[in-house]
Amino acid sequence: MEALHSRIRLLWIAQAAIMAIIVGVVLAAVDQWITDVPTAIIAGVVVVGLVLGVAYSIRLYQVWQFEIQSDALYLERGVITFVETAVPFVRVQHVDTQFGPIERALGLSSVVVYTAGTRNADVRIPGLTPDRARELQDTLRELAVESEADDAV
Amino acid sequence: MNRLHPLSAVTYGLQYGFLWLSLAMVLTIVLGGIFDPIGSAWFIATAPLGFVLGVAYGVAYYYRFEYGITPDTFDVSSGVFARRSREIPYERIQNVDLRQGIFQRLFGLAIVSIETAGGGTTEASLNFVSETEANRLQGQIRQRTADVKERRRQRDQRARHDQRDQQAAAEERPDEGDTPSSDPEPTDSLDVPGADSDDESAAPQPGVPDPSPTAPSDEPGSTAPAPDSDPTATADRRERSPEPMGPRQRRLFDLEPRELLLYSFTSFRPAAVAGVLFVFFFATGPIIDLLVTIAQPFGGPADIGEGTSTSYGILTVVSAINGVVITYVLSVAYTFATYYGFQLGRAGSDFVYERGLIQRYSGSIPAEKVQSVTVTANPLQRLIGYAGLWVETAGYGPESNGGSQSAVPLANQGRIHRFTENLTGVETPKFTSPPTMARRRYLARYSIIATVVVAIFFGLAQLTAFESWYLSIVVFAAVPPAAHLKYVNLGYYVGEDHLVIRRGFWTRRTTVIPYYRIQTVNTRRSIFQRRLGLASLVVDTASSQTMVWTTPTIYDVDLEDARDVHTTGRKRLQSALRERARDDDLGIEVDFTDPNSSGGPAPQ
Repeated sequence: MEALHSRIRLLWIAQAAIMAIIVGVVLAAVDQWITDVPTAIIAGVVVVGLVLGVAYSIRLYQVWQFEIQSDALYLERGVITFVETAVPFVRVQHVDTQFGPIERALGLSSVVVYTAGTRNADVRIPGLTPDRARELQDTLRELAVESEADDAV
Repeated sequence: MNRLHPLSAVTYGLQYGFLWLSLAMVLTIVLGGIFDPIGSAWFIATAPLGFVLGVAYGVAYYYRFEYGITPDTFDVSSGVFARRSREIPYERIQNVDLRQGIFQRLFGLAIVSIETAGGGTTEASLNFVSETEANRLQGQIRQRTADVKERRRQRDQRARHDQRDQQAAAEERPDEGDTPSSDPEPTDSLDVPGADSDDESAAPQPGVPDPSPTAPSDEPGSTAPAPDSDPTATADRRERSPEPMGPRQRRLFDLEPRELLLYSFTSFRPAAVAGVLFVFFFATGPIIDLLVTIAQPFGGPADIGEGTSTSYGILTVVSAINGVVITYVLSVAYTFATYYGFQLGRAGSDFVYERGLIQRYSGSIPAEKVQSVTVTANPLQRLIGYAGLWVETAGYGPESNGGSQSAVPLANQGRIHRFTENLTGVETPKFTSPPTMARRRYLARYSIIATVVVAIFFGLAQLTAFESWYLSIVVFAAVPPAAHLKYVNLGYYVGEDHLVIRRGFWTRRTTVIPYYRIQTVNTRRSIFQRRLGLASLVVDTASSQTMVWTTPTIYDVDLEDARDVHTTGRKRLQSALRERARDDDLGIEVDFTDPNSSGGPAPQ
């Protein structure tokens, strides 16, 4: 099983921080327009949000794993609900590599695998180095092209 | 890699320019309202700045958008700050649409949309390219898809030959009507895909039969946005045949008047609640007067303004009964009108249905698009021994609806089971129940819900004149039966070729999933389940509708069992796909109501 790049924790922490700041701004708006919210509470909420975000990010990094098996892409992830997913190569519709601004700054990239399903129809593997992402995309694409999917979905 | 048409730089620039302009304005005003140091009047400066940056972004977007044709895939990379590079294998492309609005037509441009199965969104949208480039792309994609198919066909044929040679050395030639291309050398003939009977003929690649890249005549999108080039490829509700049940069609099932009535009276439609509420909101005054008048003989208040607490109580109870009765009657009428004269037939390998009293609906369900089959029954229907049969199909694109369609709205349970077994070829399932630990889990879960209900009543008692909140403790009495009923309705069966999942008390759904329809398998364990050593197995199949029914899930089985089924599902998917490729088997028996189900003339 392959783990994610350790810098992914920074990305998740940054995302948690952005969320905490947005919540803080919303609370500040409530304070300004609707009812008084003590500054201590706003600060407290933001700090607690940050701490939880950091803890969650670290734990998530510890459990996240994936592997290319003989017939399927296999992933394990999740802190609150632990999910083991198998995506058979025959079911791969197309493969993306993606990265957002924060990921780019951290030198990370994601691979997203799309299926025709309803739930977990797109499976994202975050926290890969751009080279590894490229390589994974190539591998998955080849495996998808090779496998037959003649049954009309 | 290619770029879009230069004119799209202009449209992207303007689009993003105005988007960012409004964004900058709103942000400045809102933030100015919240934080004192920021002045709301700054928007005079920020809005033009937003516009300039937006234009720059739009132009940059144009320069960073690239697409290209590679031997195996169609590639698109896009994004300025966030980048995305997508590779779509040709074989997975379902549809290539060209679309032209007035603006595009004026300048000789076109929007190209590329769709694959599943997911509601367009996988790649080239907004926009020149008309000639659009036609070139369409032709290229079509041709390369055909090439890939041809390569595969030849490879399969070779494999088959080798196998046969090994098996029977005495036989010189395979007895099937093989094409001359059975020699191992790959030929570049492009005419083959048209006569492509080897694969399922309702080709997911609509464009394949025409290898000429400059023949847009039968293409869906030259002018119209509807991807209706291939009606058999979609499970849509468009009218296919104007005459009811034409001569080519064979009747499979008619909903008898008795069954229609039973169905109307035993099923309940949430839409009826919405209807009643809608009417109530539009005629609140008259309706309240009417309710008061009705409740009066039973001891209700003479007028809404004057009354004792007893008479108000009577008014409430009588009105509630009225409400329930009216909603029920509406629901019965709605179901009756919707399913009046339901007929299911077959035309070729498609199911065709029609129904409706006031408005007649008809549609077709291609058998090879059927993903899973579900038997539903609510408590009332189970009581009288009836059930319904639904098929789930996958659709793609804006025009085709996947989702659930009723194949047999209601019929005797025995018949439904026979239909299901004929239709899917599943053996009679012997259901396994989850461990009793699951029932304990539901006991705990429903106790928590009951506690919340009591807490709400307690809260109400604190805020209003309502005092007897402790009466709400009665809800706890419902917890054990609720947990038990949820538990006993759960079950699963790992069959030879199918997975059967049963769940739900109010609507019990028994879903039959052929292994070859599995998209992904997921074993899920929440923190509560991990403590109890349980897991839920989500078996996903293709469908473009997510909201209707939840994905088939085997709830709360032992982790080991869940992992076993997970592995079994994966293994059997692979073997079933190999088998299907060999046998060219549809997997769905269309004549499922036929008693001997072997395709003899239907007994009329």
